[in-house]
Amino acid sequence: MDYRLRLAKRMLFNKRGSLIGAVLAVTIGIMVIHVNFVIFQGLFDAIVRDISDYRNGDILVTDESDYINKSDLSLVNWFERIPYVDAVAPRLSSTAEMNMTKNGKRFEETRIPIVGVDPFRDIRASTVHETVTEGNYVFSRNSIVLGSIVARDLGGAQVGDSVKVLVVDRWGQDQIKRFTVSGIANSPGGQGFDYTAVVHIDSLRDMLNRKGETSSFMVKLNDPSKALEVKEFFLRSFPNDDFIAETIEESAEQQLAGFRSGIAMINIIGYFGMMSSAFAIVTIQMMLVNGKTKEIGILRAIGAKRKDILIIFILQGMIIGAIGTGVGTAAGLGYTFYAKETKMSWNNSLPLEVTYNWGKIIQTALTSFILAIIASLYPSYRATKLLPVEAIRTV
Amino acid sequence: MLEIKNLSKIYGEGRNKVKALDNVSFSIEQGEIVLVVGSSGSGKSTLLNMIGLLDNPTNGTIFIDGIDTTTLDDNKTASFRNKKLGFIFQFSNLLSDLSVLENVLLPRQIAGTNNTAEKDARDLLKAVGLEDQMHQRSNKISGGQAQRAAIARGLINKPSIVLADEPTGNLDSVTSETIVQLMKSMAKKLNQTFIIVTHDRKQFGDVDRVITIKDGKAFKGDQPLEMEILV
Repeated sequence: MDYRLRLAKRMLFNKRGSLIGAVLAVTIGIMVIHVNFVIFQGLFDAIVRDISDYRNGDILVTDESDYINKSDLSLVNWFERIPYVDAVAPRLSSTAEMNMTKNGKRFEETRIPIVGVDPFRDIRASTVHETVTEGNYVFSRNSIVLGSIVARDLGGAQVGDSVKVLVVDRWGQDQIKRFTVSGIANSPGGQGFDYTAVVHIDSLRDMLNRKGETSSFMVKLNDPSKALEVKEFFLRSFPNDDFIAETIEESAEQQLAGFRSGIAMINIIGYFGMMSSAFAIVTIQMMLVNGKTKEIGILRAIGAKRKDILIIFILQGMIIGAIGTGVGTAAGLGYTFYAKETKMSWNNSLPLEVTYNWGKIIQTALTSFILAIIASLYPSYRATKLLPVEAIRTV
Repeated sequence: MLEIKNLSKIYGEGRNKVKALDNVSFSIEQGEIVLVVGSSGSGKSTLLNMIGLLDNPTNGTIFIDGIDTTTLDDNKTASFRNKKLGFIFQFSNLLSDLSVLENVLLPRQIAGTNNTAEKDARDLLKAVGLEDQMHQRSNKISGGQAQRAAIARGLINKPSIVLADEPTGNLDSVTSETIVQLMKSMAKKLNQTFIIVTHDRKQFGDVDRVITIKDGKAFKGDQPLEMEILV
C-alpha cells in the first residue's frame, strides 16, 4: 500500500471522533436528499398515479368540441387491438344538483361533479371501484356511488338511500332522476371521486340527451412508457377528427406544475444541506490538519514534497467521502425500502409512490463524494503551506 | 562533503532584527562526528536547520556533496533532504500513527525505492536493538527506544550527513549514554557523518571535532581560551 494512503487512513482512523463527525456530515447530507426524494417525489408520483388510475389513464382522449361522437365500441375496439393497451373506458362528465331527505330533513347540494361510467369497462381501466369503501360500485342504471364528501354534505347519505339528481340537458332543460346509493367512495388523499358522484354512463347520456356521446376515453397501458407512441399512432390514425390525446404528464400538467416547482425547490434545499456537510468536512479537516502540524513538519523534514502532503489530506477527504457516501446511500436506500414496503403515508392520506431512481441515487452519491473531496482541498492546501521548521516546533 | 561559506541568518526587521548566525564558515569531511555546542539561544539549532535545509539562510552558501543547496527549489530541496540527509530530533518525532518499522521505512518509501527497504529497515532495527519492538505503535515504546528508532530512520536512506538536534535532551542519563554510544558505533560502522547539536558536551566524550556557537559566530573547539573563530 502506498505510504500516503496508509498515513491518510491511519491519521483518520486514529481520530475516530473527527472521522465519525465527517462521515456523519456526508451521511446526513445524502439522507436529506433521499428523504426529500422519497417524500416529495413519492407524493408527486402518488398524485400522478392516482390521477392516472382514477381519472386520466395513461392516455386521455377528448375532443375539441367537448364531446366525442364516435361510438364507444368502435374506439374501444380500435385501441384494444394495440398490444400495449390494457383497457379503455369511456366516461361522460357533467355537474348536477342533488337532494335527499334524511330523517325528515331535506339536504340539497349544487354543482356536484357527476361522472357516467361503463361499469364493465371502467373496472378494467381504472381503480376507482377500489375506493368504494361501503357498498358496491355502479352496477345498474339506477345505482349511484357518492363520494364520501358528497355523502357527508347530503346529510350522511348511506348505501340504500335514495337521491334525486338534477342535470341540465343539452337543450337547457332540467332533467331529474332518482338513484339508489349503491356505494360510498373514499380514497386516501382525496384524489379519487370523493367530491364526485358516479352513475352508469347510459343513465347520464339519457339525462343529458347525449345518446352515444362521450366526454373522454381513459386508456390504460400495460407499458406506460409507450404512452407517447400510442398517442401519436392514435392521432395519425384519425387525421380528420378533432380528437385531443394527452399522455398523463400532459393531461395532469396543470395539477402538477406547481408541485413540480415545489420539488425543484426542495431539491435545491437538499443540495444546500449537502453544501453544509461540505463546510462541516472543511472544518473537521482543518482540525485534523491543525492536529497533525507536527507530523506534517516531520514528513517534510524526512523528504515528503508539498504534493505528497496534499495527496495525504485529499486521500483523507476521499476516505471520508467514500465511507460517508456508502453509509449515507445505504441508509437512504434503507429508508426508501422501508417507505416502499410499508406504503408510507401520513394520517391515512395517499400512500407515497416510492421508486428507486438509480440515476438520482448515483448522482447524489457522486455529488456527495466529489463535494467531500472538494471540501478537503483547502485544508490540504493549507497543510502544504506549513514550513517544516515551524511545524516541527509545534508541541 | 559539507562546506559552509559565510552563512548568516537574520530574523525580524528594523529594531527587531536578530542575527542568529553571523558569517559562519566551516567544512566537514566524510565519516566525522562533529559536535555543535553552545548555550541556549546561541544559534546552534538555527545552524542545524540551515544544514538540514529546513530553513533558508539570509546570506551564504551550503555545499553538500558539491551541490549548492541554497539554490534548490522546493521539490529538489525535499528530495535532497530525503536522500542526502538524516534527521534525529530531540523528541524522536516518530509518527504516532505508524509502527516502529513503518516509521523507519518511511524515508525509503518517500524516496520511492522499495526493493530492499523492509530488509534494510529490519537490519537497522536489529542493529539498534529494537528487533522485538518493530510492530509496536511508535507511541507505545519508551523514550529511549523511540530515539533508537529515530536513529534507524535517520540512517535508512544511507544519507551523506545525519543531523541530530539534542538527541539526548529528553532522556535520562543512563539512556542518554546508550544513545550516544549507539550513534558513535553506527558512525564508525557505517563511516557515517554525524553533526550533533548538544548543550551537554561531556556526554559525548571523544569526538572528531567540536564547533562552538556563541552569539551566532562559530568557533573551533570548546574551551574558551583555545577557541579560534572559524571564518
